[in-house]
Amino acid sequence: MVANTSGECGMVPHADQHQARVLAQRVLAHGTYAVRIDARELSTNILPGQFFMIRPATGTDPLLGRPFALYDTIVDDHGDVTAFEFAYHVIGKMTGLMSHWEPGEQVELWGPLGNGFPVYTGKHLLCVGGGIGYTPFLAVARETLGLRKYGNKPSRYENFQPAKVTLAYGVQSKRHRADLSDFESMGTMPLLISTDDGSEGRAGFVTETVRELLDSSHEDRPDGVYCCGPEPMMYTVARLCRDARVPCWLSLETPMACGFGACFSCVTRVKTDDGWDYRRTCIEGPIFPADSLAYDGV
Amino acid sequence: MPQLASFDLSSRFSTLATTTAKLEVQLGRLRLRNPILVASGTFGYAREMAAFVDFAKIGGIIPKTITPVGRIGNPPPRTVETASGMLNSIGLDNDGLDTFITKHIPYLTSLAAPAFANIAGRTIEEYAEMARRLDEFPQLAGLELNISCPNVTGGVDFGTNPESAEKVVRSVREACSLPVVAKLTPNVTDITAVAKAAAAGGADAVSLVNTFQGMAINWRKRKPVLGNVLGGLSGPAIKPLALRCVYQVAKAVDIPIIGIGGISTIDDVMEFLVAGASAVQIGTANFYNPGVSARLVDELAAILAAEDCSDIHEIIGSIHRPPATGC
Ligand SMILES: Cc1cc2nc3c(=O)[nH]c(=O)nc-3n(C[C@H](O)[C@H](O)[C@H](O)COP(=O)(O)OP(=O)(O)OC[C@H]3O[C@@H](n4cnc5c(N)ncnc54)[C@H](O)[C@@H]3O)c2cc1C
Ligand SMILES: Cc1cc2nc3c(=O)[nH]c(=O)nc-3n(C[C@H](O)[C@H](O)[C@H](O)COP(=O)(O)O)c2cc1C
Ligand code: FES
Repeated sequence: MVANTSGECGMVPHADQHQARVLAQRVLAHGTYAVRIDARELSTNILPGQFFMIRPATGTDPLLGRPFALYDTIVDDHGDVTAFEFAYHVIGKMTGLMSHWEPGEQVELWGPLGNGFPVYTGKHLLCVGGGIGYTPFLAVARETLGLRKYGNKPSRYENFQPAKVTLAYGVQSKRHRADLSDFESMGTMPLLISTDDGSEGRAGFVTETVRELLDSSHEDRPDGVYCCGPEPMMYTVARLCRDARVPCWLSLETPMACGFGACFSCVTRVKTDDGWDYRRTCIEGPIFPADSLAYDGV
Repeated sequence: MPQLASFDLSSRFSTLATTTAKLEVQLGRLRLRNPILVASGTFGYAREMAAFVDFAKIGGIIPKTITPVGRIGNPPPRTVETASGMLNSIGLDNDGLDTFITKHIPYLTSLAAPAFANIAGRTIEEYAEMARRLDEFPQLAGLELNISCPNVTGGVDFGTNPESAEKVVRSVREACSLPVVAKLTPNVTDITAVAKAAAAGGADAVSLVNTFQGMAINWRKRKPVLGNVLGGLSGPAIKPLALRCVYQVAKAVDIPIIGIGGISTIDDVMEFLVAGASAVQIGTANFYNPGVSARLVDELAAILAAEDCSDIHEIIGSIHRPPATGC
């Protein structure tokens, strides 16, 4: 269902460490922001679903970098990639500090890291985003619809056939719902919103939307699912896909200390011939085929 | 005890940068081109760092600890950030000695930097057996004995008891001819007693410190944050504690010291050298500044030049000498 372009995936990151500047910051939703970073090289190389680590250029508290996924790259009038954006939700020490970043702020970052989403070669891809987990899917959708290329390896686009993409986006309530105009501007992409409290779109968890789409028999039925969000939601989606025999990929958000495989802190249970083993999410993931993970406690 | 072979790696791995000051240091039988090494467990098996670090610059690489057979490690969360530091409870997650020999030694010994092996066992015999197997790889720069990991229960804690520390070092010395560095834990009442015991056992050098035992609590959940409950504290937060240990051990033993603990800037490096360390290891800083180790080598050369210092030995241990001999 996907082209195998990640043969060398992980293990040895093709990354670099950079100092860069914040160019702009805008509000996407309640407590959710998009930051634009002036890092041309990283922007040119990063793929949808890959991440990078970022921290202030000075100081020791906060100490460690924090991982964030690509939201989108910024292309100038000549078609050159000049910067990138990531989106984040304020939850703690670093993200609280980041919300005060002004243009010109010096940051340290290293990436691109992780494997990224595979190129989708099916007919209808369903992207399922829970909360802030929807952000990697803007770039996924642009690429899968054939609207934008990412990274600098031509092989990723060989025999590339654009597919239909649907976003199922679940969020607590209308107040927390992100501004999806970046998605809407793509035109043809169906956006299915659900809120836990029913204040907008469908009432209930996004997993109900997924169940319905998988149950449908016509062209609405996706033939592949990419999912990112809180773990319980991702594992529910994984079970639904397993039962419906639709391949599913999860983007894990295990806490990380380095992002490039040196610390062994980001581990998740991956199935092996004789059970499971802890594997580093940052270099073997963060995107895993759902059926390779031992989330049910094999 | 095997004959004292000399391991002069300073010419095989000479410092590329043209510098005026001599950066070479002697660690027992081991001679290194410069004193900036990277600490076990913070540099993976070096592959992970290849994108960020010019190995041809740094003084040496200590890969992650290996055990006789693989260990799955502790349940996550395995790390948590604290004020200017971090706690870890990785639990020696590794694939074991056989995999190290087949998969990692060929890579590590192909690099432009001296590479050590760092080993941990549950019994003296396990340490000795690992040392015997690794003795077949004279391309290794040496063995660092992790007798200090605070995250593993069940085994004897060799690093907290001087007698067993001496025995484990001696048995490794008898089992192999590679230079031996004993890595000490700070979680003891008197670190100098364990350092003296390691010296008596025949260690070429001691490295200190490993992490300080600590914990983090999520009070709202009334629960520990780490999967293993307790963890080891590292990073800038521990630097003054580690510096104190190096200072005390330098007064107590004659063998060379490798200083470790919260080192991230060139001033940190200089402080450890002045306190008596002949070399240093960069640990947690590799995580949040992945290229830092190679940059510190450049900065060391620059600061010695600025200080009009022709040999790094004028700096090493200078706090313990009358002022006239310093530069
Ligand atoms: C590969 C990857 C990509 C990511 N991409 C994005 C992104 O695009 N946008 C975004 O907003 N976030 C993303 N995250 C999560 C983001 O890294 C964390 O929200 C961030 O590190 C929080 O930092 P902080 O200092 O504000 O919180 P802290 O002060 O470190 O933590 C606050 C609280 O949140 C908990 N916590 C911290 N990190 C996580 C986590 N990853 N999962 C669950 N609980 C956690 C802590 O245990 C603590 O209770 C990603 C994570 C990964 C691993
Ligand atoms: C995540 C992590 C893993 C570590 N793993 C090991 C290990 O496997 N073996 C070992 O001897 N020391 C290990 N250490 C200890 C470091 O090598 C070093 O002694 C300690 O972190 C103090 O130095 P620092 O403050 O510069 O990090 C580890 C430290 C960290 C933070
Ligand atoms: S975050 Fe350090 S190994 Fe994955």
